[in-house]
Amino acid sequence: MNKKVSSFLVVSILLLVVIIYSAITGSVKMGMMEFIRAFFGEDNQNYSVIKDLRFPRIIVALFAGAALSVAGVLLQAVMRNPLADAGVIGISAGASFVQLFVITLFPMMFFFTPLLAFFGGAIACFLVFMLSWKSGLNPLKIILVGIAINAMFTGLTEAFVTLCSYMNVMVGGVGGSNLSMRTWSDVRLISFYGVIGLLASLIVASWCNLLTLQDKTAKSLGFNVTRARLIIAAIAVLLAAISTATAGVIAFVGLLIPHISRRLVGSDHKWLIPFTALAGALLILTADTLGRILVSPLEIPASTIMAIIGGPFLIFLIRKDK
Amino acid sequence: MKVSQIELSYDQKKNHLDGVTTSLEKGKITTIIGPNGCGKSTLLSVISRNNAPQQGSVTLEQKDIMAYKAKEFAKKLAIVYQQNTVPQDITIEKLVAYGRVPHQQLMKKNAEEDEEAVNWALTATNLMQKRTCKLEALSGGERQRVWIAMALAQKSSILCLDEPTTYLDIFYQIELLELVKKLNEENSLTIVMVLHDINQAIKYSDHIILMKDGKILCEGSPIETVTVDRVKEVYGVEVIIETHESAGTYMVPVSI
Repeated sequence: MNKKVSSFLVVSILLLVVIIYSAITGSVKMGMMEFIRAFFGEDNQNYSVIKDLRFPRIIVALFAGAALSVAGVLLQAVMRNPLADAGVIGISAGASFVQLFVITLFPMMFFFTPLLAFFGGAIACFLVFMLSWKSGLNPLKIILVGIAINAMFTGLTEAFVTLCSYMNVMVGGVGGSNLSMRTWSDVRLISFYGVIGLLASLIVASWCNLLTLQDKTAKSLGFNVTRARLIIAAIAVLLAAISTATAGVIAFVGLLIPHISRRLVGSDHKWLIPFTALAGALLILTADTLGRILVSPLEIPASTIMAIIGGPFLIFLIRKDK
Repeated sequence: MKVSQIELSYDQKKNHLDGVTTSLEKGKITTIIGPNGCGKSTLLSVISRNNAPQQGSVTLEQKDIMAYKAKEFAKKLAIVYQQNTVPQDITIEKLVAYGRVPHQQLMKKNAEEDEEAVNWALTATNLMQKRTCKLEALSGGERQRVWIAMALAQKSSILCLDEPTTYLDIFYQIELLELVKKLNEENSLTIVMVLHDINQAIKYSDHIILMKDGKILCEGSPIETVTVDRVKEVYGVEVIIETHESAGTYMVPVSI
């Protein structure tokens, strides 16, 4: 059996195991068999508690992980840069700030949360592109500009939240990066836009492959490089924005997962995109589950765990690139 | 293909192409030569539509090349650049199949025709045995052939090559130029290339364009174009040009 297929199998099995483990572990506990029987229809009180409290959290974690990882792959294809990640270059921070700002001032806009997040992410993405384009596609330059944009939006968010707390204004939207207290309405939101974004990313997989050629070579094949870049970047921003709108800012997933995935299934995006979706879902659910049980009854947010793993990993990637 | 009065400047200070007018004959091998910075690669990039000229026009089959749709133009003209980047784990047949992009729409492709074109391109470049290999497993000469195969899969009638031999050993240089000659003779491909090596240009071209400072200094058959005086004028090198019974016409530098 080849490496690609076995990687898919292993990740799928692990994903299933972690989903079940995450569902039955916590303040309300269930046995594995008990859980499986209840899942297939047996009456069980614990199960209904778990279903309402833990399932939404698990599903949001899965989609957020998948969406952020695929967003990473797409951004890396568009910027031709293995270090691009929605969380690191400020797209998530932009999405987070705009939705927080608008919803706090106009709580009635809550319904448009995804749209606002998309708008914020798009602004950040555009700024990164515009400010780093001049020197071609120098990977480190994009990262430096991205980090600056990220700092700017994070700072704006913090300033805004601080001001609001002085003035006793309730801050709307998803502020922190904690996956606790997710509800079925969060699930509906992220699964709807998440599925759209993930399907769209599969459709543009062949474009991502063509972008790995040099621009002038891709152009000589009659391929519209600029249009493809715009569409792929828009899909990436959608995925990053929707996961930010429901799960908060989580950095480094889009860096770590695509890198490992390339090792396992190669750089053909037709394999890479579905694989990163699965692996990303696995990573975020694992991080969230660990955060939930390590110091129980307290919690460490998944984003904190990702930052602890991801920071050193970015340093490793930058050193290896040289 | 007709090129008329092309002017192009990258920085508004210097004309990188200054009133270039020429025509490229169908079914022939045309080579552009000249010293570094003379505009030879720029001219090739204008012909292949990678750069739009500020003045003047290039027409192909009586139509301005800028008026073609991108994919339509890619079916008429293919280009191989000097340096190429791509993930090293891609297989040869997949890379060559990218040459079929101009013939495909997002949802519509003719699998049989694509397969046939890829097979033909792989056979023509002698890569059939290597088709399932990954790019990383190939030598420099083989890689350059893969890029040519990709361009051939476009099934265009014009093939442009930008310094195709620059990074190759002499064996692969000759192998590559023989391949170009064969493609020209057997498939009546029109070849337009930029070469550094004047002897190779003399040996493998039907027509030579000699450029200096963004202008065409002279053009014609190799023997007419490359003369002792012109080489001195353009490159600043004293040379001897002789004709040998079996080697043909060749040039040897003597001093500067």
